[in-house]
Amino acid sequence: MKRATAMARVFLLVLALLGMMAVGTGWAQPKTELTIALSSFATEVLDPPLGGHLVKYYLSMIFDYLVGTTPDGQPSREGGIATRWENSPDFKRWTFHLRKGVKFHNGDELTSEDVKFSIMRNIGKRSTTGYAGPLRTLIQDIETPAPDRVVVVTKEPTLIIPLYLSRSLSTEGMITPKKYIESVGDDVFARKPIGSGPYKFVEQVTGSHITLTAGDNHWRIGTPKYKTMTFRLVPEETTRIALLRRGEVDVVELSRERVKDVEKDGFPIHYRREESILTMWWVLGADGRVPPAKDKRVREALNLALDRAEIAQSIFGGKAEPAAVPLGLSWSFKDVGFKQTPDMMYPYDLPRAKKLMADAGFASGFNQDVYAYQLPGLPEGKTMAEAVAGYWEKLGIKSRLIPVDYPAFRKAWFDRSAPGAVGYFNIANRDWIGAYALLEKQAYSASKPSDTVNDPEIDGMLSQVMRQTDREKINALMRNVYTRLRSEHLGVPVVYLHSPYATSKNLAKWNVGSVMYDLFFDQLASGK
Amino acid sequence: MLRFVAARLLQSLIALAIVSVVVFVLARATGDPLYLILPMSASQEDFDNARRYLGLDRPYVEQYLSFVGRAITGDFGVSLRARRPVSELIRERLPNSLKLAAFAMGVSLAMAFPLGIMAAVKKGTGLDRAAQVISVLGQSLPTFWVAILLVEFVAGRLQWLPAGGIAGFSSYVLPGFTLGWFVVAGLMRLLRSGMLEVLDSEYVKLARVKGVAERRVIWLHALRNALIPVVTFAGIYFAILVTTAIVVETVFAWPGIGRLAYEGISSRDFPVIQAVVLTTVVNLCVDCLYAWIDPRIRYAR
Repeated sequence: MKRATAMARVFLLVLALLGMMAVGTGWAQPKTELTIALSSFATEVLDPPLGGHLVKYYLSMIFDYLVGTTPDGQPSREGGIATRWENSPDFKRWTFHLRKGVKFHNGDELTSEDVKFSIMRNIGKRSTTGYAGPLRTLIQDIETPAPDRVVVVTKEPTLIIPLYLSRSLSTEGMITPKKYIESVGDDVFARKPIGSGPYKFVEQVTGSHITLTAGDNHWRIGTPKYKTMTFRLVPEETTRIALLRRGEVDVVELSRERVKDVEKDGFPIHYRREESILTMWWVLGADGRVPPAKDKRVREALNLALDRAEIAQSIFGGKAEPAAVPLGLSWSFKDVGFKQTPDMMYPYDLPRAKKLMADAGFASGFNQDVYAYQLPGLPEGKTMAEAVAGYWEKLGIKSRLIPVDYPAFRKAWFDRSAPGAVGYFNIANRDWIGAYALLEKQAYSASKPSDTVNDPEIDGMLSQVMRQTDREKINALMRNVYTRLRSEHLGVPVVYLHSPYATSKNLAKWNVGSVMYDLFFDQLASGK
Repeated sequence: MLRFVAARLLQSLIALAIVSVVVFVLARATGDPLYLILPMSASQEDFDNARRYLGLDRPYVEQYLSFVGRAITGDFGVSLRARRPVSELIRERLPNSLKLAAFAMGVSLAMAFPLGIMAAVKKGTGLDRAAQVISVLGQSLPTFWVAILLVEFVAGRLQWLPAGGIAGFSSYVLPGFTLGWFVVAGLMRLLRSGMLEVLDSEYVKLARVKGVAERRVIWLHALRNALIPVVTFAGIYFAILVTTAIVVETVFAWPGIGRLAYEGISSRDFPVIQAVVLTTVVNLCVDCLYAWIDPRIRYAR
């Protein structure tokens, strides 16, 4: 017994020593570092044309955009390389006047040649960004009449060029150094990127972190407040919160479910209000919409059968608002003057829904497939799909839940191999140009296979937007598109989701902004 | 002996070939990675371009043969997601997993030794039962749950240890314990049964009769002989720890090979999936082969 006790003591002593050694190392973070913990780095590619939208979170600190954006998504002459821009009378030539004295991190001066090179590279055929395709179709040539002047020549008259090349969309407008890339090649550049943004790239450890260091002074943010900015990849939320509690990170991405816990401990919560719209749609068949959702009454009935307020409260913890317009990207509403009036909100009206179903000849319901999957930023995905299926069951609709992952649904949707089935997505909110770009893919018949709407009237309106050069007319067209999406019930808008972010207690004021896939760390790091 | 080794190597190569085909087919059966890589706004032209640039437009047989041809030279292709050579990603991540597995093995041995010896020496007592409960708990409690609890309370609430990432020795403690505790049961039982067998042997009885101190009997005579199967299985467990740490690496934000596999699977990154599976299969084969050809181990079996 004595020996066993002695062994136990030795064991406990070893554990205690391990603990003491552990506590003694890796404790506090220096104040000069801003650390951000994200659940995903997306592709982890540090080259603008290859990263996709999500890399904007960190790439926007390394690179500058041709056209800057304010935190609320408006084009800004202060935030980009172009200090002003103008169009020719025929709207086919866009001249950008470049900021003088801007240097890349390697000391090379940023000139019009870099801008031309960057745009052509970012929209090239190897690009996987969201809007490379439309820009490739639209841009005829890029001229560089002077080192501080760039002219983008388009094939058709258009208003959209400055917005497509701005920070409000994807990475097509990011400016990269021509000489450096040509001398080291694409692969080296992707590992050791050089930009002209306020922070320089230091290190990337895939699956772990990306470290940036501040330049001395930058026209965007002045002298950066933090010498180092580190993005840490922490997939598990409990770990992110623990890191915040320990003071190891300053900003964490949070789920709606954990907000109360973290808030209770005194950590400030910042919301990206209506960061995405959770919307559902019916997969089209080879020839368009298929019964029973082909019948407008059925579509309205399915919308009326959802208690959105209850969904927002019980599934999304009250961090959501009922949505009324299918594909209605609300950040664009103010840009185009669209007002979502109270009468547009779908009431929870089961009796009327049942009557509509009976009128359409489906009094006893029908069978319907509902794809159920989780999405990044939407851990509640499957639960929501189950809840919606439950509501529809009250109309006699027998929903078969198909548990797959999103790519499987996306394939069925694009291949049109599951006509009439229902899927969903938490579509990132965006300004009017982003909303147009999305509608052009998801509500425009010519965009097969991604179309979900198949409505000739909407097709007609969307086809005019790109060619239109009168902003007021564009606004009117966009308003009409939203009105028709709602009045024809061309989808099932569920809720707008608010996305919470928690910060350490001593962090400065932070406007998380309303720019797609961009948390605007400029303000946090700004020394101005 | 040479024939024996050659036969084993041949078996391993056949196994590898079969595994490579299975993984290649299964990875592609899960779907098209472009549906994850390309944004929702991507057009058909974007899909066609990406497919061409990533080499996914070629016939499957051609893709497979090209993969095998390159894999033999250690070139597993380029990650579809990270756009970097997969061999480079593995070189970056594997050492992290090996270090974590080594630490976890240290933890499990540090727990299994006293528990196993105590259980054998105090067979049938409360201490024996307690030792077995502790070890079995490690195997039966879900690793994910243990990891989350440790992060939430030990790191987040008590703030004793780091919650995640690699930042010095202290960051090994929680993931190492989580991973190590899982294998304690196996090692502890092996040690306990080995000890019981040896303690009951004639030479131990003789030592006791001759008046050798009990401590010396246990630590010198009994333990040394009970160690052979433990060491063998510790080697195999080590390989298993390296390859099964996906959950632990994910919870503790540990950039290891398990996380790489998880990222590869969730993004349909075929070259990464194939490379990780083949690397781990090779490791396992090497370990098993080693275990098989080691004469002590063959005798132990």
